[in-house]
Formats: sequence, structure tokens, C-alpha cells
Amino acid sequence: MNVRTPTTVAPGETRARSPLYWRYAVEPFVYLSPAVILITLVMLVPLVVGISYSFQSIAILNPLKTGWVGFDNYAALWSDGKFWTALGNTLWWTVASVTLQFGLGLGLALLLNRHFHFRRIVQALVFLPWAVPTFLSALTWAWLFNPVIGPIPHWLAALGILAEPENILGDPDLAMWGPIAANVWFGIPFFAITLLAALQSIPGDLYEAAEMDGASAWQCFTKITLPFLAPMIAITVMLRTIWIANFADLIFVMTGGGPANATQILSSYVFTTAFRKLDFGYASAIAVALLGLLLVYAAILLKIRQKFVKI
Amino acid sequence: MARMELRNVRKSYGSVEVLRDIDLDIDDGEFIVLVGPSGCGKSTLLRMIAGLEPISGGDFLIDGERMNDVRPRDRDIAMVFQSYALYPHMDVARNMGFSMEIRGAPAEERARRVAEAARTLGLDTLLQRLPKELSGGQRQRVAMGRAIIRDPRAFLFDEPLSNLDAALRVEMRLEIARLHQRLGTTMIYVTHDQVEALTLADRIVVLDGGDIQQVGSPLDLYERPANRFVARFIGSPTMNVVPATGAAGGVRLADGARIALPHLGDAGNAVELGIRPEHIDVVGAGAGDLEATAELVEHLGSDTNVYAQVDGLGPMMVRVHGNIAARAGDRLGLKIQARNAHVFAADGTALRRAERSA
Ligand SMILES: Nc1ncnc2c1ncn2[C@@H]1O[C@H](COP(=O)(O)OP(=O)(O)OP(=O)(O)O)[C@@H](O)[C@H]1O
Ligand SMILES: [Mg+2]
Repeated sequence: MNVRTPTTVAPGETRARSPLYWRYAVEPFVYLSPAVILITLVMLVPLVVGISYSFQSIAILNPLKTGWVGFDNYAALWSDGKFWTALGNTLWWTVASVTLQFGLGLGLALLLNRHFHFRRIVQALVFLPWAVPTFLSALTWAWLFNPVIGPIPHWLAALGILAEPENILGDPDLAMWGPIAANVWFGIPFFAITLLAALQSIPGDLYEAAEMDGASAWQCFTKITLPFLAPMIAITVMLRTIWIANFADLIFVMTGGGPANATQILSSYVFTTAFRKLDFGYASAIAVALLGLLLVYAAILLKIRQKFVKI
Repeated sequence: MARMELRNVRKSYGSVEVLRDIDLDIDDGEFIVLVGPSGCGKSTLLRMIAGLEPISGGDFLIDGERMNDVRPRDRDIAMVFQSYALYPHMDVARNMGFSMEIRGAPAEERARRVAEAARTLGLDTLLQRLPKELSGGQRQRVAMGRAIIRDPRAFLFDEPLSNLDAALRVEMRLEIARLHQRLGTTMIYVTHDQVEALTLADRIVVLDGGDIQQVGSPLDLYERPANRFVARFIGSPTMNVVPATGAAGGVRLADGARIALPHLGDAGNAVELGIRPEHIDVVGAGAGDLEATAELVEHLGSDTNVYAQVDGLGPMMVRVHGNIAARAGDRLGLKIQARNAHVFAADGTALRRAERSA
């Protein structure tokens, strides 16, 4: 396509306008079109379809009642005790997982940023959990928590944390800790690697200047390291929160949402509603509610980031 | 106020010895400039004094107190980095007041001291800016302000002006000279720039190959270099050095010319003659010590540089004060100002002048 070929223009008509118009108003969109079309097809269309489902009744087991129902699904959601339980569980699951992953990941990144022998090998090994398929890690962790074949209940009992070596995955009060432990193990590398990259980009002479200025190690950390990591922390915590809130694989494999919905989070509730009960309308309504909550969360975090991040 | 002593200070990285047996006494309030070729260990020495680099051997004392194992923050020394190392996420005021913030000084006192330092450095209107919103010269001032505000017992500078353009460099050089005059604090300054070294220093320390080559006042180094290295390193343009054979009362050059050097007691073991471009006079062909052809003549206005090819000796540079009529291709006679000539022995050491060794 050669957009600069002069088009034939009638005498007296302006000749300058149309190529310029082409170049600044139309041409960019021509180049953007493949991406725009692709994004529309793979992201926007499913989104719109999903949202529209939430206003319909689409239950395979109840084919006669298919059709638009307005806000009925949302009204049902409002009075659905299981939804509120799942929402509470989602909060607990997400906050605990992100906090532990971030805290331990940051610690690991700080350790890996020091000089020691075999540093490269250790850095590579740290990344390993990230490379293990979720399904496999979920199964492994489920076995680890199983007192018949796994050591963890026995260790916990020996430490006095558990009264006896029982399976915490079967205890409604404790079951959530199982998937959280697996998730933390799985997610630490992400934080460790991204934060390590950010740490390595901090100029070393800033620490030397701070040391000359009299700063202690802790002051160096709070006044230099943290402000420098802040942009990376904001973005990774946001991404991981959204990802973890939606991340039902571990829970699904380890507990299936049980016992007694004690580990049911919104996304696993969506999954069971859609594929066990085959009620796509209601499942879509739950998904849209989750989407709305995450959007609000992301907006708040971006606002905070704007305020605190100066670099 | 600080008197510093370095006693046989050494530094090695693994098996590589970067500095050996550095012995140096720095008086209270003295302005010391460290010069030397790239990689000779100037920064390393400065960083060892700052405490940022461990000392491999020997003793370093400030006011008689051994500092080898004292942390940088407890040495009470301020340093201005070549990169300035300003904290990019803090505005100018906070950058300058950071050391006081660390010590938990009250906010009013901090603001007062920052304002005071900002006024002397002409930064008053920039206090709320971030470093990235400043020009190179302004950043340099902030870096100096951060050091001044601490009122330390010594200042260290590692090539602080090397990122500035020529005009700004001159201005900041004067600023540093004024600062030293006003505060009278001990300063150690690393530079590549001859002019900075010669104008700022009370004493210059010339480093090469991990050793101190010579310590002395700028004039000392210029007039009485201890060896061939210092002779060629200090002074611009560089000193001409030509092969020579020692003889009683003077030297004989390769082209057969005899240069009488009455001020040297004995030039018997001389192997080279050194003469600065400004210590050679251009005379008519046949009237000088050496015969030469001008290859290139540069008229600088105040001076004239003549790049001459000396018969039987090779190239030599001559700098004449004022303008002379010589042009490329002209035959010239060169007259060496014997009292300003230097002779070097085979190991590079300069033969002492009679008036000093006697
Ligand atoms: N961390 C290090 N590990 C090994 N060798 C080093 C290290 N730091 C410096 N060196 C070596 O020590 C020598 C002196 O370095 P230094 O930075 O002090 O030189 P310098 O005189 O400041 O040079 P320049 O004028 O280029 O700044 C160099 O040969 C350098 O290669
Ligand atoms: Mg250096």
C-alpha cells in the first residue's frame, strides 16, 4: 500500500489536504488495525458476550427457561449465602497469598542480590517452582498434607501446632491454609525474580552516598531501596492480586472448594456453577461481580501509585 | 579539621596489587590533588580514605586515630561523586538535608541549614525540583551542597567536574577554590585535568603503577620533577624528551650537539634530556643548538606552537610567547634554555640540580 501516491485532484481543489489527512488521521489506524481487530476478537467480544450472559437465564439443565431475565441473576446473587462465603474466602485467599508471596519474595530477592558463591545457579533454581505445572504442584502439595503419605501433618504435630497429625485439608477451619501454602511456594519466584531485576537496576553509588551521609542499613533500605522498588511493587502486587483472585486451579485440585465450601473462592464458584451445575447465566453474574471488584481494586492501586511513585 | 596520615597503605583485589606502600601526610586544611593516568588507583585511594573500600594493609589515621576499621558514617568525611549520586526520588532540599534527616535533626534546623547552603551555591529557587529536572551544573552544585551541609572534617572529590562543559568547569573550579578558602577544611581532590590540579592544589600527589611518584607543590612538580614520568605528566604541552649521552658539565645529543648544563653537578649517567616546549627559543637557522624544519605552525594569538623536525633527532615541539613569522617548511635554529633543562638517568629518575643536592 502506497498511501503517498498523489491522487488526481480536480483543478482548483486543494492538493495539500488529502495526503496530510491520510497521513495523520487515517494512516496510523491502518497500521494499528491488525492489533485492534485481534484485541477486539479475543478480548472484547468474549467480555461483552460474558456480560450479556449474566442478564440471561442459560441453564443447560433447565432449557425451557432460556431468555433475558434482567437483573434476576444479580438479585439471586445478593441473597446467595454461598456467594458471600466465597467472597470472604476470596479476600482471605488473595490477601494471605499476595502478602506472603510478596514478603518472602522480597526477602529472597534481597538475599539473591548479595554476592555469594554459586549465585547464578541458585538464582536459576529459585525460578523452578514457577516452571512446574500447576496441576502437578497442587497434587504434590495435597499429598504432602495427607498424613498417610505426607510429612507435613507430622511435622506440625511435632511442633505442637496441630494437636495430632490430621489432614488440615479436611478441617473447614484450616483447609484454606493448604492451597495458600501451595500458592505461596508457587508464587515466590515471580516476586523474587521481578524484584531482583528492580534491585539490580538501583545504582550502587546511591548506597555509597547514603553510607557517607550516615545512613544505617535499615535507613538505606527504607529511604533508597523501597522508593526505588515502589513502581515495581505496585505493578507486580496489582497483577498478582488479580491473577491470584482468579486462580482457582490449586484450590480445585487440592480441595475442590470443600470441605463445606470452606475453600470455595469466587472463581472456583464460577467454575463449579458453570461446569458442574451447567448454569452459565448465574456463573456469568458471579464472574461480572468479581470483575467489578477487581477493577475497583486496580483503580485504587493505580491512584495510590500515582501519588507515591516519583521516579 | 583533620590531619590525615597514610602509613604503608596497600590495596589489592585478589592477587592484583593496585596500590602499594602509599605513605602520605596531609596537613589540616590542606588541598591535596591526586593525579595520574587512568587506572592508576586514584579513585581506589580516595574510596579507601572514605571507608567505602577496605584497606588491604598499612594504617590510615585521622587526627592520630586509626580509621582502618571505622565505618564511613563514623569517619565524618563528605564525598562528592563523579556521578553526583543524587537521590533521584528526593527533591533538592531533601537531597541536601539527607544527612541531617538521617541524624534526626529537627525540621526547622534542617530547613535553615539547607536554605543557607542553597544561598551560597545559588540554588535558592531550585529547592523543590527533582534531580532529573536540573542541568548538569546544577546537579553538581547540589552534590556539593549535600557535602557542605554536613560540615565534615574533610571533603573528598572524585573528578567532580568531568561531566561539565569547559566554561562551567572553570566556574565550578573557582567555586571550589572559594569554598576551600572560606571553610579551610581539608580537601582531597581527584582529577585528570592538569589545570584543575595546578590551580587548586596546595600539593599534588602524582600516582602511577600503584606507587606515589612525587608529592609537591604545583611549581615544585613543574620545575623539579622527580622523574621522567612526572616530567611528562605535569605540564601542557608535554615535555620533549630526547636521547642524550652524559658528559662532564652537560650532555651530548644524538645529532652531535653539545648542551652545556652548568647547573647539574654531574650528568655522567644521563641517558635522556627533557626540555619543555616553552623553554626552547626559535632563532635564525645556524644560530641555535639544533637545526630543524618547521612542519606545522599554530598561531594561538598569545603563543605560537611550532612542531619541528630536528635534524638527526626527530620531532620536537616548541612554544614561543607571542607571534613569530615562521611558516611550515621554514628552516629554524632552536636554542635550548639550559637552566630549564632536565636530564634523566636510565631508570627514569631526574638528576638533581646542583643547587638543591649541594
Ligand atoms: N572491584 C575491583 N576489582 C578488581 N579490580 C579493580 C576493582 N576496582 C578497581 N580495580 C582496578 O584497580 C585499578 C585502579 O582503579 P581506579 O578506579 O582507582 O583507577 P583510577 O585511577 O580512578 O582511574 P580513572 O582515572 O580512570 O578513574 C584499576 O586497574 C582497576 O582495574
Ligand atoms: Mg577514578
